[in-house]
Amino acid sequence: MSAVSPSPSILLTSTKPSNETHKTIIIPFIKKPTIPTIQCEFRSFENNSSSYQNLIADSSNRIHIIFKPPSSSPLTTASSMDLSIKHSKRVCLFYCSEMKDLAERIASASDSIELRGITWRTFEDGFPNLFISNAHGIRGQRVAFLASFSSPGVIFEQLSIIYALPKLFVSSFTLVLPFFPTGTFERMEEEGDVATAFTLARILSNIPISRGGPTSLERFYFGDNILPCFESGIPLLLNRLQKLPDSDNIAIAFPDDGAWKRFHKQLQHFPTIVCIKVREGDQRIVRLKEGDPKGRHVVIVDDLVQSGGTLLECQVRADGVLQSGFSKIIWTFADILRSLRDFSRKEKVLANHGATKISAYVTHGIFPNSTWERFKHDAGGNPENGMTYFWITDSCPRTVKQVENKSPFEILSLAAPIAAALQV
Amino acid sequence: MEKPKKKQVLLFHCVEAEELALKVAAQSDLIQLQSINWRSFDDGFPNLFINNAQDIRGHHVAFLASFSSPAVIFEQLSVIYALPRLFTASFTLVLPFFPTGSFERMEEEGDVATAFTLARMLSSVPISRGGPTSLVVYDIHALQERFYFGDTLLPLFETGIPLLKQRLHQLPESDKIVVAFPDDGAWKRFHKLLDHFPMVVCTKVREGDKRIVRLKEGDCAGCHVVIVDDLVQSGGTLIECQKVLAAHGAAKVSAYVTHAVFPKRSWERFLHKNDGVHLLLDNGFVPTYCESHRQQSSF
Repeated sequence: MSAVSPSPSILLTSTKPSNETHKTIIIPFIKKPTIPTIQCEFRSFENNSSSYQNLIADSSNRIHIIFKPPSSSPLTTASSMDLSIKHSKRVCLFYCSEMKDLAERIASASDSIELRGITWRTFEDGFPNLFISNAHGIRGQRVAFLASFSSPGVIFEQLSIIYALPKLFVSSFTLVLPFFPTGTFERMEEEGDVATAFTLARILSNIPISRGGPTSLERFYFGDNILPCFESGIPLLLNRLQKLPDSDNIAIAFPDDGAWKRFHKQLQHFPTIVCIKVREGDQRIVRLKEGDPKGRHVVIVDDLVQSGGTLLECQVRADGVLQSGFSKIIWTFADILRSLRDFSRKEKVLANHGATKISAYVTHGIFPNSTWERFKHDAGGNPENGMTYFWITDSCPRTVKQVENKSPFEILSLAAPIAAALQV
Repeated sequence: MEKPKKKQVLLFHCVEAEELALKVAAQSDLIQLQSINWRSFDDGFPNLFINNAQDIRGHHVAFLASFSSPAVIFEQLSVIYALPRLFTASFTLVLPFFPTGSFERMEEEGDVATAFTLARMLSSVPISRGGPTSLVVYDIHALQERFYFGDTLLPLFETGIPLLKQRLHQLPESDKIVVAFPDDGAWKRFHKLLDHFPMVVCTKVREGDKRIVRLKEGDCAGCHVVIVDDLVQSGGTLIECQKVLAAHGAAKVSAYVTHAVFPKRSWERFLHKNDGVHLLLDNGFVPTYCESHRQQSSF
């Protein structure tokens, strides 16, 4: 891997007096102006309603939001690198068991990050029996916890640690949650819908305050339709694309307008292709909206993929008609089966429009029930049957274990961006 | 002073507490059962829908929860956080058994008191139009846990002891019953409620590496002794108490616990054998274990 570069960004902090108790949430890449406000507005894809992040702001009524504006100029990269070297502070990093590999990579990405251990056991009744080793040793230190809420069952034990660490006289506490699950389930479309993202946001906004003040919550993103997300992932992609032999022949494709809104600015020096979902009767069809894939190596970019239905549809097409069957973005077995059937029968939008190679990048590869298996490798010449590369980050460790070393999958590690973020 | 009017309550419940919910609704015309669709998405996260959400507006609503394992907490919590915001007149959370209750101390720095985690999660329940949520818990392990909850929650700590008293009065030898406590903690919790019975208190004494149960005070010769405690995990302590009491001349030994946790089917050691322990359990409170031992004699 090439030399570690921290995510290119400038950190703007507010000048509010620090004796106010408040929580700090670091949200990379927001397009809005950088005035820290208590309420933050995030556009969702369908409408402008504020998402559950507002709850984090509302419930404690004292949120400070630090905005990291997008920045792609080399100048800022250099200056932020200087910044991080000068002010490098020792951080004690705790982690949940499934994130062990990523935690080790983060620690090796930086001299000032030290890994710490927790004993994870359970009592006979199934409830956790936890012990934080060397609790005295973290007094006065900056402490972070790398969490992964890959399923509801693991939330309680990690939450117990998250609630306990800030109270051990640490100098500051940062929670790193690379992937925020339930992020897509954040709307009440009908009264009776239960937005589970709201549950998680509530639970997290109740983290005790530590001596250093508010908890920093590093979320690399929420799922689709909520935030102009993560930007710490895109630099990894840019880095990787530069190393490809055909790096001058790449075009970036967005599976829908939402993805375009979120990412196009960071990828504006590449030719762009945008797909769109159109309603035809009951069905929703993927069409090419703008851009020309002809002769290009097309890289589809999005923040998360569950079953891969949407991605495959961009890749796959049937005579201009392909069902996605989504009324809102949901991933169910029915959709997988439907897409697979169409896949085998028909041709692809992008391949059909002349793309010579197709790859994909998503930050979070969720792939429940091994749906990653649908993605085959195209060794050359057959973009309609497979992908050249499928890049995902290591935010979802269970998937990483399943797909590492299996073409077309390639893992881009978040270790360096996280290590840099921990210095904030 | 006029007594407040009886209120109609709409009762929601988690999947594992369905049986108890049915019994509760059968107790009173004023309590009406409601339903929730409990499904999950492919990634394992819950996909929930509260039926008739519009119709519960202006009504008193309650939710019967059961946190038998960490995995079921998130889905129930999602419903608990959602219900009070549906314009209900009030919201009551009934959590008969508060798990982790015994893990509430930090004896050494680094211990993680999971009771604190759960209390904190519950303290985030939104307030409804009726004000703070009432939290009903039976025989919480440590009384000071009342103070773990924020002001958004009104803890209502109840006890299952009246059920025991009722049952004991039905026994033929109800005049020869002695209540025994396995340790001082149980005595502190329950002696006032049972003070019309003669009492025996046991205690754990350290002998070298081992801890042995001994009789501390009281006399049980010739009596039917009933050991009383709030919860039983695997039952080791209960069995030791039984042996000590038998050695001191008890004619019969029974036990009552409000919450029967019994991880890994440890209840099997209590099945009726001669001179065994006859266990009186408050079956409703730890639903996952109920089905398996309901048919066994001695329970």
